[in-house]
Amino acid sequence: MVNSERGTRTPVHRNARVVPSWVGLILLFISAAALSVAVGPGGLAGTRLGAVMNLRLLRLALGIIAGGVLAVVGASLQGLLQNPLADPFTMGVASGAALGASLTVVLGRSAGAFAPLGGFAGALVTMLVVYALARVRGRVTVTGLVLAGVIMSFLLSSLVMLAMILGRRTLGEAVYMMMGHLGTVFTGTTVWLFGAVVVLSVIGCGWLFSMSRSLDVMSSGEEAAETLGVDTQHVTRAVFVVSSLLVGMVVSFTGAISFIGLVVPHLVRMLFGPAHRRVIPGSFVAGAGILLLSDVLARNIVPGGLPLSIVTALVGVPFFIYLLRSRL
Amino acid sequence: MACPRQPGVQSGLRVVSLVPSVTEIVYAVGAGKVLVGNTNQCDFPEAAKGVYKVGDFMSPDLERIIALRPGLVFLALPIHRQLLEKLNEMKIPVYASRPADIRAVFNEIDTVARLLGRPASGESLVAAMRQRLDSVPAFADTPRVYVEISGTPLMTAGGGTFINELLERAGGRNVFAKSVQEYPVVDPEALLAADPQAILLLHPDMRAPDVARRIGWGGIDAVRQGRVYDQLDEDLFFRPGPRIVEGVVLLAKLLHPGQTGNSEE
Amino acid sequence: MKAIELSGLAFGYGERLLFDGFNLEVAAGEFLGVIGPNGAGKSTLLKLAAGLLRPARGSVCILERELRAIGRAEAARTIGVVLQENPFAFDYTVADVVMMGRNPYLGRFQSPGKQDRKVVEGALEFVDALFLRDERINGISAGERQRVVLARALAQEPKILLLDEATSHLDIAHQQMIARILIELNRQGRTVVLLSHDLNLAALYCSRILLLDKGRAAACDVPERVITGELIRSVYGIEPIVIRHPETGRPQVMQSKG
Repeated sequence: MVNSERGTRTPVHRNARVVPSWVGLILLFISAAALSVAVGPGGLAGTRLGAVMNLRLLRLALGIIAGGVLAVVGASLQGLLQNPLADPFTMGVASGAALGASLTVVLGRSAGAFAPLGGFAGALVTMLVVYALARVRGRVTVTGLVLAGVIMSFLLSSLVMLAMILGRRTLGEAVYMMMGHLGTVFTGTTVWLFGAVVVLSVIGCGWLFSMSRSLDVMSSGEEAAETLGVDTQHVTRAVFVVSSLLVGMVVSFTGAISFIGLVVPHLVRMLFGPAHRRVIPGSFVAGAGILLLSDVLARNIVPGGLPLSIVTALVGVPFFIYLLRSRL
Repeated sequence: MACPRQPGVQSGLRVVSLVPSVTEIVYAVGAGKVLVGNTNQCDFPEAAKGVYKVGDFMSPDLERIIALRPGLVFLALPIHRQLLEKLNEMKIPVYASRPADIRAVFNEIDTVARLLGRPASGESLVAAMRQRLDSVPAFADTPRVYVEISGTPLMTAGGGTFINELLERAGGRNVFAKSVQEYPVVDPEALLAADPQAILLLHPDMRAPDVARRIGWGGIDAVRQGRVYDQLDEDLFFRPGPRIVEGVVLLAKLLHPGQTGNSEE
Repeated sequence: MKAIELSGLAFGYGERLLFDGFNLEVAAGEFLGVIGPNGAGKSTLLKLAAGLLRPARGSVCILERELRAIGRAEAARTIGVVLQENPFAFDYTVADVVMMGRNPYLGRFQSPGKQDRKVVEGALEFVDALFLRDERINGISAGERQRVVLARALAQEPKILLLDEATSHLDIAHQQMIARILIELNRQGRTVVLLSHDLNLAALYCSRILLLDKGRAAACDVPERVITGELIRSVYGIEPIVIRHPETGRPQVMQSKG
């Protein structure tokens, strides 16, 4: 028996931190939501109140879904791909959505439901192409998906730029579409469409949550997972498809909001540990809260507003550093 | 604005224009025949379409330009900076266009006309443009205007832009003139607060009725009054060339219906 | 009862076949050592037996049933596998990692229960790693990690254990420790198949040794008949000195100076 290893480390008791962490996240979410509804450039002057409230509530719903879904998908993909640097856009779906949306602009019909539907169509096609590229002899490996996704991402981003040039649009538009925003204009039709997105997002995130244990096991490697009884082919395919559809739906309304899907899961892991059954729900709440907070700042700090993705980075990093230091 | 290396003109001058607005100037001063190359985006007047294309405005092909053995190349800064350096190295005369406002456009027309040996045409063109511009009266009211450049996402033009100046000349007030960015993304709420009296849709994929269908926009003055203008020729507002004054006149007509005193309705 | 039976197995990566018509029988309760030079196919053989690779031809039978016919979950309840590399992308605790061994017993929406926790604790205790249960998997030593991964396999309550190089990164004390654990498991009735680069370890502890050479069985017999000068020479191409272990009389290989 080798005794020299005992008693040289202090074990980490994570369970003590779980409840206060949940309280903290929920408080963050509630205050961000409240701020998002209470504060804005529109003001709350008399006759406009109803219209402004409508816009704010829609924006709130959009922010919750976008922040929540992106964080949950980021967490799931990080587990599936065994890669802490994965994010919802690794698979190239966001670029496909941007291409679909920009094509509706270039082809002259982007009003109403056309833009989000075009975006979703782009995402769908991208998903199918990435899947086909990643298939080798009937099997899909995690590495194959990542490679195919990254390649498609590059290709599609250039195509978006090309489409904008050919369509004689300013490149600034293409950049914003790929940078993400919560200021989507809604019409009667798109509100219904968004309602469907809300329902499907809840179902999709719920499904990913139900895959928590399989994702835990898969994060230790596909072969090990296979020996532990996980159907890695099925899990890989299913998580890929559900993630792509979720991201496609969100991105076709908001563009590619960066940072949330990559960093929020890590923040949550620092609070709860890496088990997906905690990380996935935690990521939804934290993602929604942080995104709403960033949006409030982005809209109100400077007249005319700042791009959302810049603010998400600026807001997320201090959180990250604070948590990192409090652990040490 | 960089100065050309060889002022004056020689007969048989071969000119390449990499800037659609300058291409328009070249034809407007009657020097169209010296143009041996232009870009895919040079599409006005009709004759410009038939000229040999050296590539896109965004990324013209240096080899094609050189193959034409040009005696003068028109380009734009800052987008063609690298091209400018290469052409300087090869000692090919270059004129860089960078007009910041209407006055600068007039100057540019004069300069280009002189470079092409047609100073008189340049002067008369500028005179005609000034006259047309002066025909736009000073209006008593300056309605609030929202200029929409893109619908997905909503984008507008800030204070430092060309379109902003045109708007002011036409007697309008850009509601986003104070914006920090040149082309900011619009927060729909801010638009509601600004309550514009007229909306200009400067992108062809959206029509006026589409704007009325936007949730929360029904209360905006411009929407209620039906003063949403679509299907506008964007080149009149974005190309700093001879047609810029037409842009001002058009805007004046839209913003002040019945007041322009012109019989061209 | 045959724990593992490979019949007429054919498999190759790419064009050439590595295994062509390969046969092997492992009796229940055996402790089989698999040795051979690099590229001989040891790891591939283990993966074929575990169902991680599908043979081009031939059959794999576990406990006298076709592996293809056994569901994935049941296979995972029967065969515990310890692979050579065990990277953990995220910092699970040791207890979390070993609990993953209970995966084949838990339904999709089922949480681990008291029984599962008991099995996990038992597995950790068996490999003397219970004191590590709240440590992070990436914060422990290589020797401890090896034991934890073994505990995870034990949490599957498998009848058969397949190990690919369980001891190669370990110092001699840990090698001995793991070997003793494996012997105890074998004594309890589990079939153990150990792949090893270490001929002496295999010779010392295994009941039978399979000497693999480029996809064929150069020998499969008791250590005395496999660890011989001429077999080692013909497969490895070196000149060994074979002696008897002073305690057990098992053959041990010494390198000649050269």
